[in-house]
Amino acid sequence: MSNVIEVQGLTKRFGSLVAVDDISFAVQRGEIFGLLGKNGAGKTTTVEILEGYQSGDAGTVRVLGVNPRDGGGAWKDRIGLVLQDSDFDPGHTVAETVSLFAGFFSRPKSVSETLELVGLSDKANVRIGRLSGGQRRRVDVALGIIGSPELLFLDEPTTGFDPSARREFWTMLEGLRSTGTTILLTTHYMEEAQHLCDRIAILATGKIVAEGTSSTLIALSGTTSVRFVNDDSIDVDALSSATHISLHVTGDMVNAELSNAQEDLLRLLQYCEQSGLVLDGLEVVRPTLDDVFLDVTGEHS
Amino acid sequence: MRFLRLSFRQAHYNLLGYLRSARTVIFGVLMPVGFLVLFNSVFGGKFKTIPVDGHNISTIAFYTGGLTTYGVMLGTFTGILVAIVGAREAGWLKRFRGTPMPSGVFLAGEIMYLFVISLGLIIVMLAVSHFGYNLSIRADALFAIFCYTVLGVFAFSAMGLALCRVITTSEMAGSVGPFSVVILSFVSGVFLAPNLLPQWLLTFSSYLPLEPIVTGIQHAIALPTGSGFVLRPFIVLGIWGVVCFVIAQLTFTWEPQRR
Repeated sequence: MSNVIEVQGLTKRFGSLVAVDDISFAVQRGEIFGLLGKNGAGKTTTVEILEGYQSGDAGTVRVLGVNPRDGGGAWKDRIGLVLQDSDFDPGHTVAETVSLFAGFFSRPKSVSETLELVGLSDKANVRIGRLSGGQRRRVDVALGIIGSPELLFLDEPTTGFDPSARREFWTMLEGLRSTGTTILLTTHYMEEAQHLCDRIAILATGKIVAEGTSSTLIALSGTTSVRFVNDDSIDVDALSSATHISLHVTGDMVNAELSNAQEDLLRLLQYCEQSGLVLDGLEVVRPTLDDVFLDVTGEHS
Repeated sequence: MRFLRLSFRQAHYNLLGYLRSARTVIFGVLMPVGFLVLFNSVFGGKFKTIPVDGHNISTIAFYTGGLTTYGVMLGTFTGILVAIVGAREAGWLKRFRGTPMPSGVFLAGEIMYLFVISLGLIIVMLAVSHFGYNLSIRADALFAIFCYTVLGVFAFSAMGLALCRVITTSEMAGSVGPFSVVILSFVSGVFLAPNLLPQWLLTFSSYLPLEPIVTGIQHAIALPTGSGFVLRPFIVLGIWGVVCFVIAQLTFTWEPQRR
């Protein structure tokens, strides 16, 4: 199957600022692709170019085989948008607003099916002004999917959500994924990307600094670490030199990054066994996408 | 036709929002009606007639015509300005832009809806004057009044659209809109009899978009004979409308403006 999105050498400048710096990536049909980055990394600029709101200064962009700048009604009919921030007329009900949008598309889902998908069935006849922030964001998503899009753009959909609302939102997106919709998601929550995305590209100052599945990204640049409670019975320096592991004391914990986790751990534990040391609260910690992110964006100390 | 069908849906959606908002109904209907009752109570007993452009017309006809037009301008000019600037600020326009909806639908829906609420206001105002103050309007003149309404909605909404580029926030739109309508009304024979104004101001206001249509509607309501049509408002407001539509066409933007 061909790629739904193809980006080659895309560059966008605002005056002297290079917001998007020669990036290339492709999104395949049916996958959830995540663009990660801090605020100002170039995520929204990239997405807005893909959506047709802005044009790039260099490079080629194809979305559903079309340059978004030339995308007419027939192209927009196949695409759903959830923009970063948008507000509603508070006086209309959820169903009225979703049904207005249904009229714009040639193959709309039914309003009730859409509200079911975003979990707003019981709010259909409630005025939007009375909804919570998280519920309004669901209305946003409802407007994005009402046209049965092949491709859905979600620009930081869960910013400002509390953790439980975010979890519910993820469940909803997983439901959408199962209907075969291709999704391009931007977020600055690593956990979100790790949870949802089939593939991830990390953007920093306009460049893609890493790309892959979350596990390949973690395997690529993260290191496993070990930690335990700093007990009076432990001589950290002696333990360090005996095991050839460089241990650091942070607060009441001792920790170390392991360049070769399996061998390093074996040495550490054998030494403890022989010398009768008990390591309290021993943990082996796999790196998270957070660590990878800090690594590749050069923020790790 | 898809365009018309979508525009009707849009107009219906807007109308629902209007009817549910206490603010728009108070400013759009209750205020002009309140002014009509108030001004007529104050001046109705003092002056039998007021001279307007060479004809003496009854005080109630003067205020009915003037305040109705004032209400139409307030509703359409301010209405479209606040609606579009607000929708743009909220990202609503940008979001419409991303759907397959033809871009004219939003505007057509807005203007249709403003026309409906303008007609509604005119019916209410004429009914209040007729039943409350014994103002009788010739059936012949109703068609002229209808045509003036079409003209007014066209010109005033074009003016609102032309200002959308320079008015960047809905807060600004909400104050600039009503303020300019009130100022314009003072020099256009809405609140004050024209003969109280200096000649230079009368001449000046006759080129502005309110005085010609106010005079036209006042004459249509008051004069006992004729079709009620005068050419002057159609020329002056027609030019204002066309020029403003061209300006709007050249400057209109869907994206939220950075402050």
